[in-house]
Amino acid sequence: MSRTTTRPRPAAPVRALARAASVLSTGLAVALLAACTGGAGATSPSDGGSPRAGGDLTVLISNFDAGWVPSKSSISSYEGNVWGEITDKLVYVDPKGAVSPWIAESWDQSKDARTYTLHLKQGVTFSDGTPLDAQAVVTNIDTWAKGDPARGITRIALFPSASYDHAKAVDDHTVEVVFTKPTLGFIPTLGYHGSILVSPKSIALSLDEQGDLSKEIGSGPFVVTSWKAGDSVVLAKRPDYDWGPKVLDHDGPAYLDTVTYKIVKEDSLRSSAVQSGQADVAFNVSPQEIETLRGQGFDVETPRYLGFVHGFKVSTKAAPFDDLRVRQALQHGIDRQQIIDTVYTSDWQAATGFIQGTVPEAGDFSSTFAYDPEQSKKLLDEAGWVAGADGVRVKDGKALELTLYPTPYIITSEPIDELVSQQLTKLGFKVTIQRLDVPSYLDRLTGNQSIALADVTRSFVDVGTVAGVLTDSNGGEDWFAVGHSDATLDRLSADISDASDAASRKKLVDELQEYVLDQGYFVPVTQIVQRIYLQSPKVHGASFNGLAYANYATAWVD
Amino acid sequence: MTTTVLPEAHSPHDAPNVAPPGARRPARVRRVPVSLALSVAVVVLVVAWALLPDVFAHQDPVTGVPAQKFLPPGAAHWFGTDHLGRDVYSRIVHGTASSVLSALVAVGIGVVVGGVLGLVAGFVGGWVDAVVGRTVDVLLAVPGFLLAVVVVSALGFQTINAAVATGVSAVAVFARVMRAEVLKVRRATFVEASTLAGGSSLHVLVRHVLPNAYRSVLALSVLQLGVSILVIAGLAFLGYGDPPPASDWGLLVASGKNYPLAPWLVLAPAAVIVVVVLSVNRVSRRLRQA
Amino acid sequence: MSGRHGVFVARRVGQAALVVLLTYVFTFLVISVLPGDPVTSMLRDPENGFSDQDVQQIVAYYHLDQPVLVQLATSLGRFLTGDLGVSLRTQVPVTQLLGDALPSTLELTATALGVALLLAVVVAYGTQFLPPRLGQGIVRAVPSAALSVPSFVIGIVLVRTFGFQLGWFSITDPDSLTATLVAGVALGIPVSAQIAEVLVANLDHERTQDYVTLARSRGLTSRELFRRHLLKPSALPVLTVVAIAVGELLGGSLITESVFGRQGVGTLVETSVTGQDLPVLQAVVVLAAIVFVVVNLAADLLYPLLDARLRPSARSAAPVTAPARTLSDAVAGAA
Repeated sequence: MSRTTTRPRPAAPVRALARAASVLSTGLAVALLAACTGGAGATSPSDGGSPRAGGDLTVLISNFDAGWVPSKSSISSYEGNVWGEITDKLVYVDPKGAVSPWIAESWDQSKDARTYTLHLKQGVTFSDGTPLDAQAVVTNIDTWAKGDPARGITRIALFPSASYDHAKAVDDHTVEVVFTKPTLGFIPTLGYHGSILVSPKSIALSLDEQGDLSKEIGSGPFVVTSWKAGDSVVLAKRPDYDWGPKVLDHDGPAYLDTVTYKIVKEDSLRSSAVQSGQADVAFNVSPQEIETLRGQGFDVETPRYLGFVHGFKVSTKAAPFDDLRVRQALQHGIDRQQIIDTVYTSDWQAATGFIQGTVPEAGDFSSTFAYDPEQSKKLLDEAGWVAGADGVRVKDGKALELTLYPTPYIITSEPIDELVSQQLTKLGFKVTIQRLDVPSYLDRLTGNQSIALADVTRSFVDVGTVAGVLTDSNGGEDWFAVGHSDATLDRLSADISDASDAASRKKLVDELQEYVLDQGYFVPVTQIVQRIYLQSPKVHGASFNGLAYANYATAWVD
Repeated sequence: MTTTVLPEAHSPHDAPNVAPPGARRPARVRRVPVSLALSVAVVVLVVAWALLPDVFAHQDPVTGVPAQKFLPPGAAHWFGTDHLGRDVYSRIVHGTASSVLSALVAVGIGVVVGGVLGLVAGFVGGWVDAVVGRTVDVLLAVPGFLLAVVVVSALGFQTINAAVATGVSAVAVFARVMRAEVLKVRRATFVEASTLAGGSSLHVLVRHVLPNAYRSVLALSVLQLGVSILVIAGLAFLGYGDPPPASDWGLLVASGKNYPLAPWLVLAPAAVIVVVVLSVNRVSRRLRQA
Repeated sequence: MSGRHGVFVARRVGQAALVVLLTYVFTFLVISVLPGDPVTSMLRDPENGFSDQDVQQIVAYYHLDQPVLVQLATSLGRFLTGDLGVSLRTQVPVTQLLGDALPSTLELTATALGVALLLAVVVAYGTQFLPPRLGQGIVRAVPSAALSVPSFVIGIVLVRTFGFQLGWFSITDPDSLTATLVAGVALGIPVSAQIAEVLVANLDHERTQDYVTLARSRGLTSRELFRRHLLKPSALPVLTVVAIAVGELLGGSLITESVFGRQGVGTLVETSVTGQDLPVLQAVVVLAAIVFVVVNLAADLLYPLLDARLRPSARSAAPVTAPARTLSDAVAGAA
């Protein structure tokens, strides 16, 4: 398989083929070409004008396969869109991480950062008419923190459960929340997309019943009018809604009458449908189309959420990645700039650590994972992996193999994995790519430590909660399958979640990033734009929060 | 997609070779039609692509030059480049082996397994014939493409498994044709004569059945080759073949359709499939007329 | 006479039932005995992340800890009582999944069949009455050309052309009349090509028959000739082909549904394949076999009746595709 870049050579057989092709299939070729050039003319961008009440919005999305159990799908990039419209949160977090009042009008924090008092907005009701009062909030907080293992309801992974003690209703609109240790992350996490307020009645349902979206009662600006698995979800506005986040500067109900989420699996069909005016919004289109679409007058929103960058968590239980040198070889073997240049556009930024640049504590740790293929090869040599005849490294008769599972939660994961595969192949890895759809992906990868590399696409609002997923303390997700074997990781994680002031916490977070990256536990790819919204020019006013979801309560259509 | 069963139904053996109406031309000089010549040329070229891809395509089919992504077809890249800056022509050429040779594997399985089943059923008759007959009924009752999908999902997503699956779905057709040939030959007087004269079954087989059956099996094989290329492309299109960076033609179309702004990513592999299958079918038609 | 017909019917029905049963057994064996034993290997593969409890439940339900024959017997017993098992992936009964998916697919395949017949007849007419110099040759090449285009390419072209460029239908409503019609065209084209090939061959054959020559000499117009004397007798072998084609339409729906964004049996197969949901796959295969067998049974039983009524002349020798007694004969062709 030698190859050289070459000048064109008009090989005779090719000319024969070309002739044959033109004789036999000119008709087809013409039809295809005509069909492929696609793209109905776009309308010119409109200046927006003043909001108009009424109208319907159609949003195309690839799937809702994770189902409607809130504890399972509220943080899913797909279902999260719907949850955000039918529920409210206690606080609002903007794209820069600033926290502002929502259902909690104000709050007090004790000096030791262990006790919080939330003062709730009055007159807020769930869509079934029952009040969203202090007791309802307590039920929700309890569920986020602890879940209900007996009923199979899981806690919210990035909620500071480790130090959670209890919450209680002081009166109808005052809630007191107590932690056993300082918990700086609590208030910001109330704006996390896992922290959605659902009616206690819905929370009390069995897991099976919770899967029925029409039984999920929220207090949000929209309510579910109908849904069909694998097909669509239709929302209608609540006329009496009047408690949106203050900073959005929009009082009263939504402008739109309805929002319809329609499932269209094919990526290219979604963008083409919006291009040709068949739908208003396409969720997730190929980044490589963005420039052209914008040129045609379409609006493409690429919000960055607060959270982890896109990268791979490496399982130290999956050989050969139990070897530090192999992990480091991987860390230095990925050419991230090439990924940005090839798969993305200038809307994407290089990672500087494992935390998104929008998070205040981000910092720059680029040197710990700089692209250095020579270094990688040296590390692999040292680890005893010797290149075989076909270029694949071998040790003790075993090939240096790696399977990548492109996450269905990022539209670019396949081309990225293809590039990573090319890059690692040059180092002597044998890489296989296996594509899975959402349910199979969740089935197979969730908590599965025998899988070496898994994509991380996870947002968080407050860096203090990060520790909760890195280790397995207090039901953490143990991302790197280290259990309690890594004392440094344990110590840093614990200290970060227990930090009582922001300055000392920032130092600890720096130390953690440095350590995790150097250990090759987390292999960053790029800063993430997980949610890409292609909007028709007639859609205006959609707002985007710190979790990078569109909010259509403020939107209107021409 | 078991299209083969149909055209075979009017093979020259059970039907007069009907000339198209108005085609009563005077006996013409035997001349190779242009379309046939072109078809043979295409087939030869494709086999060459499959066996010696590096001779025909010098650019790296796996590792591209990312800076050169989405280049439209031109002098440097006849079929343009893809989303990772890989030369599409080179990917097509290097994908030929798994797209076309696996079709050959499929046909091979069909011919060998189906042929043996048909031979045995036709020769032995009785309950063996009945068992084979019902097996074939089952294989025919399941739509060929669905059968291939099920088999490939049981075996695992690899192009070679897709080929096996496609072969399994072709077994029935070959079994039937072979059995029919055996029966026909057995009934023929010269075989009866041969048997009377003390020829063994094996002798009858080698001397009479195979030479007679070979032509219809050959024509069917070539036709089935076209069908198999389509079935395997369909499986690859759905992602049931080798994963990227393999470049099976069906897979190329599937990943190309994600980039509507680069129509050549669909156009080029699609056109290649069409031209190749068309050529194979043309050759097959010729073989059946012979 | 009617008694003999009764015996014939009973035999064919029995055969049909046997084929369905055997298909079930065959699929079961493919799925559980093939190298690798997909079910168990899937369950045991740590990468698949089944919990021990999940595995035990599934193993118990399907008797996976017992010999294959016992498993087969259990599974076959359930099948005979209409129980197709439970989806490994969604825990929903397979019958329910199929019931939800079937209507859309039936709509699509029925449309496709209609389209296929129409296209085939149009092409066939062209081959008979277009002057040779005015495109008859091209029309004659159409079926084989159509058979060379992968159905996913036809689908992509139609979606992009009629859906997006011309805006005839919206991809957001794939079940609309127009969308179904266009999807039907995509699915129907390859099948129409097969029908056309058989139809044309038969028309060519009928044309040379004495009674046609006679009819022509009486001055019948082309249309009348086509309709009354050519199409009807040629329709018989076409019936057999159509019966076979129904199965192919079901198989083809896999790709067409995926390309057109429809939800149906095809997409159910697709998700079951990705999710290794073998009970669902097995059920779909058996369903396809049932449809195929029933349609062919109907065709076989109708055949003698139609044959007597339609055949205009005893002198008309055997049509080109065998006047098959049974499907099997038609398929064997040379038999």
